[in-house]
Amino acid sequence: MPRIKIDHTKCTGCRHCEAACSLNHVANTVNPRRARIRVMRDGNRYYPVIAGPFVDAACTSKQFIVIGDQTYDMCAFCRASCPQKPYFIEAETGIPLKCDFCGIPPSPSCVRWCNTGALELVED
Amino acid sequence: MNGWIGRCLRVNLTDGKHQIEKLDTDLLELYLGGRGLGVKVFTDEVDPNVDPLSPENKLIFCSGPLVGTGAITGASCNVITKSSLSGGLACAKMRGHFGAELKFAGFDMVIIEGQSELPVILSIIDDKVKLVPGLEYWGRSTAETEELFKKNLGDQWMARETYLVSIGPAGEKLLPLANLVNDRFLSVGGAGIGAVMGSKNLKAVAVKGQHSLQVADGSRFVQVINTLINKLNSAPLTSQSMSQWGTTFLVGLCYQKGILPRNNFRSTSQPLKNIGTEALNSAFALRGRGCFACPIACIKKADVKYSAFEGKGMVPTYLAIGTLGFNCGISDLSAIGMMSMLCGEMGLDPVATGGNFATLMELVEKKAVTPEELKIDISFGNADSMIEAIRLISTKKGYAKRLGQGGMAISESFNMPEIFMGVKGLSLAPFDPRAIQGMGLHFATCNYGPHHLYGYTFIDELLNVHENLDPLETQGKASLVKRYQDTSAVVDSLGLCNWPLMGLKFNNYVPMVNSCLGTNYKADDLLSIGERIWNIERIFNMKAGFNMGHDTLPERFFKEPIPDGPAEGQISHVKEMLPEYYQLRGWSEQGEPLQEKLQALGLEE
Ligand code: SF4
Repeated sequence: MPRIKIDHTKCTGCRHCEAACSLNHVANTVNPRRARIRVMRDGNRYYPVIAGPFVDAACTSKQFIVIGDQTYDMCAFCRASCPQKPYFIEAETGIPLKCDFCGIPPSPSCVRWCNTGALELVED
Repeated sequence: MNGWIGRCLRVNLTDGKHQIEKLDTDLLELYLGGRGLGVKVFTDEVDPNVDPLSPENKLIFCSGPLVGTGAITGASCNVITKSSLSGGLACAKMRGHFGAELKFAGFDMVIIEGQSELPVILSIIDDKVKLVPGLEYWGRSTAETEELFKKNLGDQWMARETYLVSIGPAGEKLLPLANLVNDRFLSVGGAGIGAVMGSKNLKAVAVKGQHSLQVADGSRFVQVINTLINKLNSAPLTSQSMSQWGTTFLVGLCYQKGILPRNNFRSTSQPLKNIGTEALNSAFALRGRGCFACPIACIKKADVKYSAFEGKGMVPTYLAIGTLGFNCGISDLSAIGMMSMLCGEMGLDPVATGGNFATLMELVEKKAVTPEELKIDISFGNADSMIEAIRLISTKKGYAKRLGQGGMAISESFNMPEIFMGVKGLSLAPFDPRAIQGMGLHFATCNYGPHHLYGYTFIDELLNVHENLDPLETQGKASLVKRYQDTSAVVDSLGLCNWPLMGLKFNNYVPMVNSCLGTNYKADDLLSIGERIWNIERIFNMKAGFNMGHDTLPERFFKEPIPDGPAEGQISHVKEMLPEYYQLRGWSEQGEPLQEKLQALGLEE
């Protein structure tokens, strides 16, 4: 199955992927808040997160994530379009957003515009 | 509207009221946005002779039409005001994400008028425009301000998406060297702007929003951007040098050509071993950071390894290394990193600050003043005391008051104005104009002082990207300078970054502009818009008191040949090139725009 591999160490936080995604899904429109990929930032670092479905179960097994010398709240990297945070939900309609790999066969527009190699389409 | 949001926010700090206005579409056609539109509105509304620090001066933030649309490097927002350092127009480019977020917050332009009685922060978050009491932020560094503001928002998700531009203690104290700092550590390169914002008692502007931007022809736009990204990737400078080291890669190149100045422009050979990019790699753990939609990501973050400072910093750029470092005789990269970091925290402009200290150091060397009188051992190569002094001047306490008035004021107060290496009151960017003639002409004639961001002739003169020019040659440089100056005006007005031009031709931008805005511009149409902008800036500056006499360089560059290094023996030939430049611009011999030219540009009064 194809999936998008994320290497956060390569991400520069330029958010070109967000622009690409919204342009591809809403005709002629750019709005990062309507994108299905968002770049979370925390201090010095950036973490691209791709939208996925929301299931209650994920929250019950919530953990803290340790990267380097910092501890992060898992919610910050969670891909669920969950009601707790304003990500991956169409602001006007409330419809949850989910990555669709930009069609069949997959040709994700975010990967195409990501110039640093932080996003990569892999087959496994 | 395509590209533009079409709305402008006008905030009056005196009575705390604001109103939302529609942008005039005719003006957008003539001036595009960003720098062009901002300058047009500013010059129409503000008297050229206004005191920069008075409530009558205005401060304009203006994003370009391509900002936030995903157009490559469409990220910049320009800040326009009358500078408290030069007394002329100031226009500084803000990188990072603030510009794009301003558009998502629903505005192309924010005009700030008047003067608040107490410190405030202008918050434009989710369509709510508020003036937040700023007393608890006053006196804090730019980084602390941002942190505290976000904490006070209460909602961590909202905080993550909010972007801030603020002044540091230097701006609050109305120091002429002060500038703005956005996204935590990006300095907005324009001295004197921070003092204007400080005089308005405005500590910061915060933006966030959910507005959508429209693009005229989305599918074509996406295609164009795909090709542009490929082009950038096949050009060595943008894909490797800039991506890997940022502008710092210029240090080595400029050194080899004798362009990198040392000790207040009195030498170009550095007795230094560790100035190359390898030294940079070993001094800092580099990590790229990009402005909105930038495939290059030239901004480098790092941990500054310096005993006196434990924090996160940004790798010094070419500008910081040149002005705070070598031109002050300092070659320790970690100390330079520390200084540039401090400048960011305090809200000081690195170029103006470096120039300020280089002047002071030469005064000390020439014995016009002793370190005892200054109460601090300022001398070439003394990094520790310079770090100390940077801290001191931004608090403006006691004797430190005298140290931070700007290079020109300091040199004049000791009756040695010839020691100040600057034009129109602003310090020179670190390019020795004797070793790179075109840049010298640009420095002399630029509306915003001697800064390479308003005319990047070094792309051809030094890097030989589009043309293979000899930096020492004067032939053809006048037209090169004009072309690059007009280009910079257009690029800034569209809201794009200049650095892709190290890999792309200006013409490559045109399809991107047209598919985004739904226009039919040709490259020449855009360049003539640039020329129009350059001319209105010039006219404003002339009304503010600048004339042909200001289009020159410090005497040192005409009289003293470079004493050493690869460009040994060179002097500047600006005076010979100036008449040709005026002629190409369609200006009189006194440098005044002629009636025919104004008519052709649609500017006749
Ligand atoms: S090249 Fe550098 S300054 Fe320009 S947009 Fe990219 S990251 Fe920003």
